[in-house]
Amino acid sequence: MQTIRIFFKKLGRAKYISHLDLSRCMQRALRRSGLPVWYTQGFHPHMYLTFALPLSLGYESLCESMDLKLTQDVDTQELLDRLNAALPEGLTAYGAAAPVNKPEKIAWARYEISLCMSQGSLPLEELFDQFMAQDEILVVKRTKRGEKEVDIKPLFSVGVREPTPQGLRLELTIAAGGETNINPALVADAFEKFTGIPRESMDVLRTQILTEDFALFA
Amino acid sequence: MQLSDLDPILRRVQKPAQYTGGELGSIVKKLTPDMIRFALCFPDLYEIGMSHLGMKILYALQNQREDVWCERVFAPAADMEEEMRRNGIPLYGLESLDPIKDFDIIGFTLQYELSFTSILNLLDLAGLPVLSRERTQLSPLVVAGGPCACNPEPLVDFIDLFILGEGEEVNLELIDLYQRAKKEGWDKPHFLREAAGIPGIYVPSLYEVTYHPDGTVEQVIPRENAPKRVKKRIIRDLDKVYYPSQFVVPYIDTVHDRAVIELFRGCIRGCRFCQAGFIYRPYREKQADTLDQNARDLCRLTGYDELSLSSLSTSDYGQLEPLMDKLLSWTDTGRVSLSLPSLRVDNFSPQLLEKIAKVRKTGLTFAPEAGTQRLRDVINKNVTEDEVMNTCRTAFEGGYTSVKLYFMMGLPTETMEDIKGIVDLAQKVVDLFYSMPNRPKGKSVSVNISVACFVPKPHTPFEFEPQDTIAQLREKQKYMLDCRTSKKITISYHDSDISMLEAVLARGDRRLGPVLLKAWQKGSKLDGWSEHFSMERWYAAMEECGVDPAFYANRHRSYDEVMPWDHLDYGVSKAFLVKENKLARQSQTTATCRRQCTGCGANQLLGGACFADHTDIL
Repeated sequence: MQTIRIFFKKLGRAKYISHLDLSRCMQRALRRSGLPVWYTQGFHPHMYLTFALPLSLGYESLCESMDLKLTQDVDTQELLDRLNAALPEGLTAYGAAAPVNKPEKIAWARYEISLCMSQGSLPLEELFDQFMAQDEILVVKRTKRGEKEVDIKPLFSVGVREPTPQGLRLELTIAAGGETNINPALVADAFEKFTGIPRESMDVLRTQILTEDFALFA
Repeated sequence: MQLSDLDPILRRVQKPAQYTGGELGSIVKKLTPDMIRFALCFPDLYEIGMSHLGMKILYALQNQREDVWCERVFAPAADMEEEMRRNGIPLYGLESLDPIKDFDIIGFTLQYELSFTSILNLLDLAGLPVLSRERTQLSPLVVAGGPCACNPEPLVDFIDLFILGEGEEVNLELIDLYQRAKKEGWDKPHFLREAAGIPGIYVPSLYEVTYHPDGTVEQVIPRENAPKRVKKRIIRDLDKVYYPSQFVVPYIDTVHDRAVIELFRGCIRGCRFCQAGFIYRPYREKQADTLDQNARDLCRLTGYDELSLSSLSTSDYGQLEPLMDKLLSWTDTGRVSLSLPSLRVDNFSPQLLEKIAKVRKTGLTFAPEAGTQRLRDVINKNVTEDEVMNTCRTAFEGGYTSVKLYFMMGLPTETMEDIKGIVDLAQKVVDLFYSMPNRPKGKSVSVNISVACFVPKPHTPFEFEPQDTIAQLREKQKYMLDCRTSKKITISYHDSDISMLEAVLARGDRRLGPVLLKAWQKGSKLDGWSEHFSMERWYAAMEECGVDPAFYANRHRSYDEVMPWDHLDYGVSKAFLVKENKLARQSQTTATCRRQCTGCGANQLLGGACFADHTDIL
């Protein structure tokens, strides 16, 4: 029996599949693929799937992963081919290997964010620089235990910020994982509050999941 | 329309995956000029409609044809509807995302009366006039079928034609005619006249209804060579009928999200309140081998891990044990769980229980329907108290501790004694549990009784019967609660307002069209959902249209009254319904079709006897 980590993209229509629904969708795809997936023992045997880092509904991603166990070895390419033949539109598996990092090691995630919003008194990128120049960026974060105010300034960094015809494109590296997980929408909300310009929409693409030392989660 | 056009609004609504299409098994075609575009609409939410087997069958069947592209359409939830209206997005098909107002045919399935207002709402969301006469072009043609088509009179203002009975053949014939109409440039009246010639197609605009001074129907007069009576369609050889090997597999959770095989159509029982038991006659079953193959194909292609056996009464299937053996030979190792709804109390054998127990251990559900033997005989629910007790004993011995019992109240001839009988029966089940030395140890029993209000339905022996008034029903509900002494018994019952509305619509006539229109204009839609339902709107609509609900719901109808649906022939003769009604009045039961032909008339649809030889399988 081997544990295998499968990497997949979630693009287009598939971004509307919620995290819970994704798990069910993957189980059905695995069943259709006929791959020798290991089931838990006990009264209600089920596939044991673990998703490293849940993705918010409506976001796309190039770097999702799920872990499962196989009861016999399958060649990587064959595994990918069989799974891809069974996956619905928008979900594509592109890598499979024995896991290197435990999911607890996840510390950061990179996102490409396209904000659709109108210009203010200054160009949006300048407003964004002012936004980043603040000493602290306080947001209200909702958790299971209620709401609390958090300073997210130390929890993200900006790679790219450039104007687009619709608004602003950002590449952000944001704290992720079990310890402190920050949704890119929190950054966008804070920016919106700072500028007073409401955004019309926001497209989010997760591009990388990283460990503490900024190595790719593998 | 592109998905990106929907993006902004999909971010703001609940469960957006129900509005995107693209599910596994959904069929996307390349549009050709001679292609007929068919919008198959379920006038309720996605999570309900996607659970419906008939829709799955017709979707796959029509898409088998190269010249047809059939797409799915469901009612959007309130949040999505608001976004669509605000952003000017018309109702679209889930496969192409194209507006359905540009389709050739829009077909609604009529599963329950409370979905009628949603039909109007969907037409309006599509950007079409809701009234049939205001849609003067041939396209889109608005059609409807399904069980409520057995009395579609309240809907005749809105629907161009109805499809009676089973749809597998007649839908294709209708599409053929439409192809011809398009090629030859027929207008809508021409098409409708021709369509009325197809057996099973009812074109209501070709019939004139006259009324007596007392408000009852005088006669229904066909015009322009339309048939005097329209006979419903059936599939004679069910074993050979098309069955999909692939379903559309939804992303979001739906009510029934599983593979389904259809054991048989019709029912041998003849419970006198049950519309399905009469309008789906005659009884026809599929072979166990065919079903096993259907099940294997579906599980393989969908990836479902649950398989449901669908029919009106699973344990009446003549080949149930062989079928269970076939299925269990691969479902166990294939990690597919079986679910068997609609089991009857009287032939629920220990062997069968053992086979089910292997695959699931949830609650058990039985439907005695009435609390006393006298009333069970009246409704021809041939179940005795001993059978209920024996089945519960077997279930308790098998480790079950929870039993759900379904009943109705307001049945013809019912007295308060019968109401008390419901609670007494539940109490006996509780007592039985505690009297058993070998009951599941350390566990408490729970008996849930669910009591619906009886709604008299067309084409049943009770189509003549008045429904109890709301006041009567409420009094019975209160009395029932007073009868309960044990905390092991929980009681739930249906809203009597909703049941009354169902009764009005079920046996309504053409004068209810304006009421439907008014109720919808006042905001009625998705009436089956309590958060949307408002009886006040309906009362106001009826009052404005001068319609008295009691005339439809609470009036006793004589045997010789012309019913609004008498010109629709569902195989079962009115003489038989009268005979059965008289037997009910004498508390006389009628045997099952398998034991002895009851002469209902439905075998004329088959062109011969329903059963080669009459035997009792019990």
